[in-house]
Amino acid sequence: MHTVLIIDDSEINLTLIKALVLKLGDCDPVLFDNPVKAFEWCKANVPDLVIVDYMMPDMDGLQFIAAFRALHGRNEIPVLMITANDQKDVRYEALMGGANDFLNKPIDRAEFSARSRNMLSLRTGQKYLADRASHLEAEVAARTADIRDREKELIFRISRAAEFRDPETGAHIQRMAYYSQVVARNLGLDGKQQRLILEAAPMHDVGKIGIPDYILLKPGKLTHDEFEIMKGHARLGHELLAGSSSETISAGAEIAISHHEKYDGSGYPHQLAGKSIPLFGRIVAVADVFDALTSERPYKKAWSLEDAVVFLEEGRGKHFDPMCVEAFLAGWDDVIKIRQRFQDEIAPQL
Amino acid sequence: MLAYSLNRPVILERLGDDEEILLMMIDMYLQDVDNNCAALSSALAAGDQPTLLREVHTVKGLLATFADEDGAEMAAASESRLRAGDTNDVEAAIAAMQARLREVAEVLKREIGG
Repeated sequence: MHTVLIIDDSEINLTLIKALVLKLGDCDPVLFDNPVKAFEWCKANVPDLVIVDYMMPDMDGLQFIAAFRALHGRNEIPVLMITANDQKDVRYEALMGGANDFLNKPIDRAEFSARSRNMLSLRTGQKYLADRASHLEAEVAARTADIRDREKELIFRISRAAEFRDPETGAHIQRMAYYSQVVARNLGLDGKQQRLILEAAPMHDVGKIGIPDYILLKPGKLTHDEFEIMKGHARLGHELLAGSSSETISAGAEIAISHHEKYDGSGYPHQLAGKSIPLFGRIVAVADVFDALTSERPYKKAWSLEDAVVFLEEGRGKHFDPMCVEAFLAGWDDVIKIRQRFQDEIAPQL
Repeated sequence: MLAYSLNRPVILERLGDDEEILLMMIDMYLQDVDNNCAALSSALAAGDQPTLLREVHTVKGLLATFADEDGAEMAAASESRLRAGDTNDVEAAIAAMQARLREVAEVLKREIGG
C-alpha cells in the first residue's frame, strides 16, 4: 500500500485528487488543506508520493518542498507539484528545489494517472533497492561473523595443538590471552585492539610445534644448545603465521616473534629494547610470564601470587615494559577473576 | 465573454469518464461558491494583496476545472495584473469574477436538477 500525501488549500481539488488517487489502486491518500500541518505530519511519517499545490497560504508549494527535502530520509521521495501551464518560472524553481514532476491544472485523469504511476514505480524501485541493500548488508554481516567465528576457533585449535606438545594447558592460553586484554584495556587501547590481542595472544607459542620432543618435553634443565633450539620457537611461530591477510593472524605473528624480547634488550630473538619491541609483544610478555609463574608444571610448583607480583615489579624496565606491569597490576581484580574462571584441567594425553 | 455552458464531454474526458467524480465536484463547487465569493470580497476590502492574488488564482483553477475557458482567462488576466501590482479597476474585475462564479453555479445546479 502506497501512502500518498495530498496538499491543496482548495477542498474541491483535494477531493478530486483523492478520488483519482483511490482509482490508482493500492494507495492510501492522506489529505491536508494546510501545508504547515502537512509538514508537521511529515516529520513523523514518510509518504511514498507527495502531491502538492503551488499557491497556498502560509507556505507555498516551493517552500513546502524545500522544508520537506530538508527532513532526514525524505530526499528521494517523489514529489509532484500542481501548477498551471503558464507558470514556467515556478516550474523551473520547483525543479531546482526538488520537485520530480508536475501536474497541470485543470487536472486531467489520464495525465494524473500516468505521472502518479511513474512516481510510485520510482518509489517502489527505491524501496526495493533499499530493502535489498539492507538485506545484503545483514547477510554480509552474518557471513563475516561466521568467518570470524571460524577464524577464532581455528586460531584457538592451532594454539591448543602447540600447547598439547607442551606441559602447558588450554587454560594457560585462555588466561594469558585475557590477562593481555586486561593490560591492553588499562593502557587505554580501544575496544578493537583489545579484542585483537585477546584473539591473537593464544598464538604466542605456536612455533613450539617445530621444536623436537626431546627438548620440549625434557624434564630437566636444557643445555645451552638445547635452549638455543628452544628459542627458535619464536621465529618458527612467526614464519608459520606471517603474511596472512587476517589481521588477527598477523598480530599473532608479531606476538610470536616478540614476546620473548626483554625491555632492556637482553631477550630474543632480536634483542630489541624498549619501545622497539612491538606493544603487543610487551603486553604478552607480562601476561605469559605471570601465568607461567603462577601455574603448576610437572617440573615446578606454582608460585604464590605475591611472589609473582614481586617478580613482575622487580622486572620493570629490565624484563618488562614498566607501563605494561602498571597496567597489569591496575587490573588485579580482573586478573583474579580470570584465574578463577579458567582453572587448569588435567593435561590431555596424545 | 460568452455565457457559460457546461461542456460535459470535455470535463468527463479529463476525469476519465468518471461520472461519479464529476457529480462529487459539482456538489463541492455548489457548497463552496459562496465562500469563494466572500473570500474575494473580504481580501479586496482588507486591501490584502497577497490573499487577493491567491483567491483569484483559486478561482482561475476552479473555473478551469469546469471547462470555463472564458472565465478562467478572465481570472488569469486579473491574476497577472495583481502580480504586477496593477490594481486599476480591481473592484470591477472581482465583481465580474464573482458574477461568473455564480453563473457557473446556476448552470451546475440545473445540471444536477437542483
